[in-house]
Amino acid sequence: MDTQQEPRKTFVVPIGPQHPALKEPGHFEITVDGEIVTAATVRLGYVHRGIEKGVEGQNWAQAMYMLERICGICSHVHATAYALGVEALAGVQVPPRAQAIRVLVAELERVHSHLLWLGVAAHEGGFDTLFMYSWRDRELIMDVLEGLTGNRVNYSCNVLGGVKFDVDQKQSDAIRSAIDFLEPRTHHYLKIVTTDETLIGRTRNVGTLTAEEAERLGAVGPTARASGVARDIRVDSPYAGYPSFPVKTITAAAGDLEAKFIVRLEELFESYRVIREILDNLPPGDLSVRVKPRLPAGETVSRVEAPRGELLYYLRSAGGPNPDRVKVRTPSLCNWGTVLATAAGHKLADVPMLIAGIDPCFSCNDRLVTIRRRGDAETWTWARLRQYGIEYYR
Amino acid sequence: MNIELPPLVALLLFPGGLFILFSSTVYEWADRKLVAQFQNRIGPRLIQPVADVVKLLAKEEIVPDGVNPVLFHALPVVALVGTLTAALYVPMAGLKPSYSFTGDLVVTLYLLSLMTLSMGLAGANTIDRFSLIGATRALTQLFSYEAPFLLALLGPAIIAGSWQIAEVDQFARGHWWIVATQPIGFVVAVVGLMGKLELPPFDSPEAETEIVAGPMTEYSGRGWALFRIGRDIELLVGLTLMASFFLGGIANPIEFLLKTGGLLLVTAGLQSLFCRLRIDQTVGLWWRIGILLAVAQLFLLVFLR
Repeated sequence: MDTQQEPRKTFVVPIGPQHPALKEPGHFEITVDGEIVTAATVRLGYVHRGIEKGVEGQNWAQAMYMLERICGICSHVHATAYALGVEALAGVQVPPRAQAIRVLVAELERVHSHLLWLGVAAHEGGFDTLFMYSWRDRELIMDVLEGLTGNRVNYSCNVLGGVKFDVDQKQSDAIRSAIDFLEPRTHHYLKIVTTDETLIGRTRNVGTLTAEEAERLGAVGPTARASGVARDIRVDSPYAGYPSFPVKTITAAAGDLEAKFIVRLEELFESYRVIREILDNLPPGDLSVRVKPRLPAGETVSRVEAPRGELLYYLRSAGGPNPDRVKVRTPSLCNWGTVLATAAGHKLADVPMLIAGIDPCFSCNDRLVTIRRRGDAETWTWARLRQYGIEYYR
Repeated sequence: MNIELPPLVALLLFPGGLFILFSSTVYEWADRKLVAQFQNRIGPRLIQPVADVVKLLAKEEIVPDGVNPVLFHALPVVALVGTLTAALYVPMAGLKPSYSFTGDLVVTLYLLSLMTLSMGLAGANTIDRFSLIGATRALTQLFSYEAPFLLALLGPAIIAGSWQIAEVDQFARGHWWIVATQPIGFVVAVVGLMGKLELPPFDSPEAETEIVAGPMTEYSGRGWALFRIGRDIELLVGLTLMASFFLGGIANPIEFLLKTGGLLLVTAGLQSLFCRLRIDQTVGLWWRIGILLAVAQLFLLVFLR
């Protein structure tokens, strides 16, 4: 036992890549002193799929279906961000009815994503009853989305220049009745997360992120809003149907896990309200306009608010039938820093909840990122990139 | 009920031995089924716990590197033997205890602790990091609930004036249900039993989302099966002991079923109501509240008696 002669070694608890707390692979090294976490690091990249490169070989219309599959939970916002970018490049005006339906599906998706998160976060804290109940209620939204689009995931509701389907009276009634059921349930869950003593014991003052830290680490979405940073693309730069159906930014000041619960649950009420408003005032008109298969050369950035935060698409066209470059930045990537910064000093038992607190989506955010200062640009050749990949995964 | 059984039958077939093994799996099933129903799930079939154990027993047992192989194989056996022996001293199935002597209450309680101790040692025996943290937590938890649980069960024993389980049971049958006069002791004992069994919300020693399976992470096949059976028997013995002490004794098999079933309903409800406590919260709960309540009640009993 040569370990005994050495000075006190650090005790590292590995979470992942295979671990019951993680539904997708990621690797966290949690250095602990007894139960207290002293440091945390993350290593990502286990599910890098090369989608950005993959779409370069497809035409503009096909690329959307591939990009939609970046995320299984927020697939619609990916397709929307891409479609908005393509429409900006093509210079077409999408009919208001299509924009409203995009927002409708986006908000339904947000409801399903937030209810899913509520269950996952409760499960990480060992509160399986809340997990089961919130996932049971989430099924209603899945059914509604299936009735609306034909799919439970990867709804494929967008086409370039509009949407595929209309919302008829029957579907609109089904959505309304689901929302009518979910609203009191959400009130109930909000009451649980703010009053249940055991849950508060695990969430209040755990993982507190101040507004300054959130700004410094570049947090986005509910993670930033729970720290009092009012940052919501739907409000800051409204896209699709949001100019006609405005939403309110929900923030909380505390910045701890409890605030993250509260912000996400209160966002649900805002989503319910917007969904009802859209169903009541669906603008008449066409569902789509034609987009030519070849886009004029140019580049554009489109930003949308995914359930997890700001999703950014950069599209560049060289005038051909294929995208010249597609760059995606998903919200989870922006939020990792907040987990690592807040983990130190907490108990090991809090780490799974801290990780779950940002609602991470691992396979969406696996991509090569290098950070360089302004004016320090560098070109990587394909061969160098390939070599880097081989060495990284060795 | 007083049925005289040959000692060997009592030890190996009924109410000890085989009967315990199978009835404990039924209690595990009932527990899982109840929790599942409370959580809006369907839950396992009646045969599931037996099927799990049979499957595990048939599987290869992997001895990981860095363990003491003798301890690795012996600890599950010790745990199971401890709980099986403890079952002989309680009024199982409404019969009078198979074996009985003065002071067997203390022996039974220590035999039940053997289970947790074995699990803790089993975790500490490996070099797995999840196991080591789990073992630390399991033993920390052992030191937190053990004292209040013991003190809570001493309450009825003091009233009955005997530390022999059979006599306390006899006393409880002839009087009011002790839960009415010692509600604090009852609550402490129920929660203590859940802590002993590492049931939610006291399951931080094996918190799946943090440390996989805690001390049991490296166990597979036979060893894990034996620990599981041991845990089931501990549940059965604990419920019997509680029903006998606090719920007016156990006079016949029907009372046994009703009273232990009722207790199981309570523990299953408690399991599904709360968020998992961190280990520091568990210890805090016991040493700040549990032990104080138990001691207060004990003093009250000693002085009023």
